[in-house]
Amino acid sequence: MNKFTRVVFKKEIIDTFRDKKTIFSSIIIPIIIFPLIAFVFGIGSSDIEKESKEPVQIAILSEEKNELESFLLNHKDINIVKTEDAEKALDKLDIKVIVKIGENFDEKIQQGEKPRIELIYDDASQKSEIGKSRVEQIISGYTGYIVAKRLENAGVNPQILEPIDIKYSSVSKEGGTGLMIFSMMLPFMLTIWSAVGGIPAATDLGAGEKERQTLEPLLTTKSSRMSILMGKYFAVVVAGVIATIASLIGFLIATKINPDFLGEGTTLSIKAIGIITLVCLEMALAFSSIELAISFYARNFKEAQTYLSPVSIVLMVPAYLTMFVDGRAIPRHYFHIPIINTIGVIKEVIVSVYDMKHILITTGWNLLYIALFLTITVKMFEKETVIFRN
Amino acid sequence: MIEIKKLSKHFKDVIAVDNVSFEVEEGKVFGLLGENGAGKTTTLRMLATMLKPTSGTAIINEYDLIQDPVDIRGEIGILFGGEIGLYDRLSARENIEYFGLLNGMDKAQINMKIEKLAKDLEMEEYIDRKVGKFSKGMKQKVAIARSIIHSPSIMFFDEPTSGLDVTAIRVVHEFIKELRNEGKTIIFSSHSMNEVEKLCDEVGIIHKGKMVEISSLEGLKVKYGEENLEEIFVSLVGEKNE
Repeated sequence: MNKFTRVVFKKEIIDTFRDKKTIFSSIIIPIIIFPLIAFVFGIGSSDIEKESKEPVQIAILSEEKNELESFLLNHKDINIVKTEDAEKALDKLDIKVIVKIGENFDEKIQQGEKPRIELIYDDASQKSEIGKSRVEQIISGYTGYIVAKRLENAGVNPQILEPIDIKYSSVSKEGGTGLMIFSMMLPFMLTIWSAVGGIPAATDLGAGEKERQTLEPLLTTKSSRMSILMGKYFAVVVAGVIATIASLIGFLIATKINPDFLGEGTTLSIKAIGIITLVCLEMALAFSSIELAISFYARNFKEAQTYLSPVSIVLMVPAYLTMFVDGRAIPRHYFHIPIINTIGVIKEVIVSVYDMKHILITTGWNLLYIALFLTITVKMFEKETVIFRN
Repeated sequence: MIEIKKLSKHFKDVIAVDNVSFEVEEGKVFGLLGENGAGKTTTLRMLATMLKPTSGTAIINEYDLIQDPVDIRGEIGILFGGEIGLYDRLSARENIEYFGLLNGMDKAQINMKIEKLAKDLEMEEYIDRKVGKFSKGMKQKVAIARSIIHSPSIMFFDEPTSGLDVTAIRVVHEFIKELRNEGKTIIFSSHSMNEVEKLCDEVGIIHKGKMVEISSLEGLKVKYGEENLEEIFVSLVGEKNE
């Protein structure tokens, strides 16, 4: 960094972080957004969790007394509600499911026939849907009991229905499902913030400078245009990195507020953090440059905001596309696709896959984008039609 | 000394400055007079190395505009009117210091110069306050200090009083007079006849990118038989429009 670049960089950092708008959008928003989501998510999920621990409220419609009704009546996870209009009660969610038992239920069971029961529920309601699944499971248990009894009566061991004993054990060293969710959300979040975190600063240092008419006196100083541009560029990169760190802090706070939010107990090794930092920095370096170029092209602050808003949307597409990709089975060609490759590398290291080839391919492409975008930015900053466009 | 040789600037099909030539002797104030869009700002932007001329050149204190733009930037100071162009979130001192550093000065030199400028321009009271809440007059004083922090021998003024109130205009006028007394070479662009009459030794009237007249104020009055510069300007520009 030459002397003039250092001067510009220092000034831009001071100026940027004295701007309340930048502090709000680059630090405060990333810090509060995840805890806020976690909080809301926590309220919603704890409500459902509570619901799934309490007995399911059901109504039984049956012509006569039967064994299934007695079974349900005595089951600890079932609460039979007496109601005159069961459908109305379901509509109001006073009950979650109606169990309609067909005629001559016990008789048909005894004769080996297949009596019908109907589960009436509201598929637009999550609570009713969960209730239906639980009742279904309980009735399935009752069905198993009848089958076992029939087999015993026929002198057959019920074990015959389970010829294989399946044992489930996960190879995941730690985290399990939590790690899976973690590997879905973290790459998405880090990549987005690394790329867009510099936008508020870029808008101010490019278009903002043009709008305030501070650029013209700057161009009459002894400092070269290249030095001015590089000072601004590094300031935008730093702002992007700070926004990413802020979003990580927000992420950590979110997991403290609601441990179920994104994978409880998941940790990252130093090696993983190092690789993630490298690819995120590459993203910040590439995107800061293009954001600054767009900002310099714009006539004013508002125009720059209009041009830069789609950058976030463009990023969202690959980020969403790869959200559900398995970190242990990412196709190799993904590492040649911009943005997706960065998300891919982060996903891999989260699940402890350290594939040097993938990291090098991604870094190679990212370096190419940085060089390309910087060249475009330098060319644009040298163009009179861009600088004096207003 | 400034020597402008056949300077032209084209923006695609628009000829903003067309073959303009003139000289400004050391210690003189040259007034560039013209309507809005006549080519005054483009001429000054080329001389300040912000724009590259399409053709022609200028020699500023022995440096060539095309060959030695960095050296030229060390020789000049520029003051704009209108929005003035300061960083609102920086203090007056920080604004001035930034330009001192970008002109290659060291911190000690800058500090000494800022103390002197703050005293001369009566800015001591607010030198360490952020400029965002300054009046236009206060801002213009900061911009003046910024433009001369590196002690340039040549000054360009691009409509420096536009949008200022009477008191602030007076400060700018006094500043220009002081610079003239110090022997600085000045190009002053304006569309105000009164200002040019009050401050300039020589006047160049620019119209539609062309220099249509260059003369001393006295010379213009004799040539056109008019005492009033405004009348001279109107008749000259009207003639060219016909």
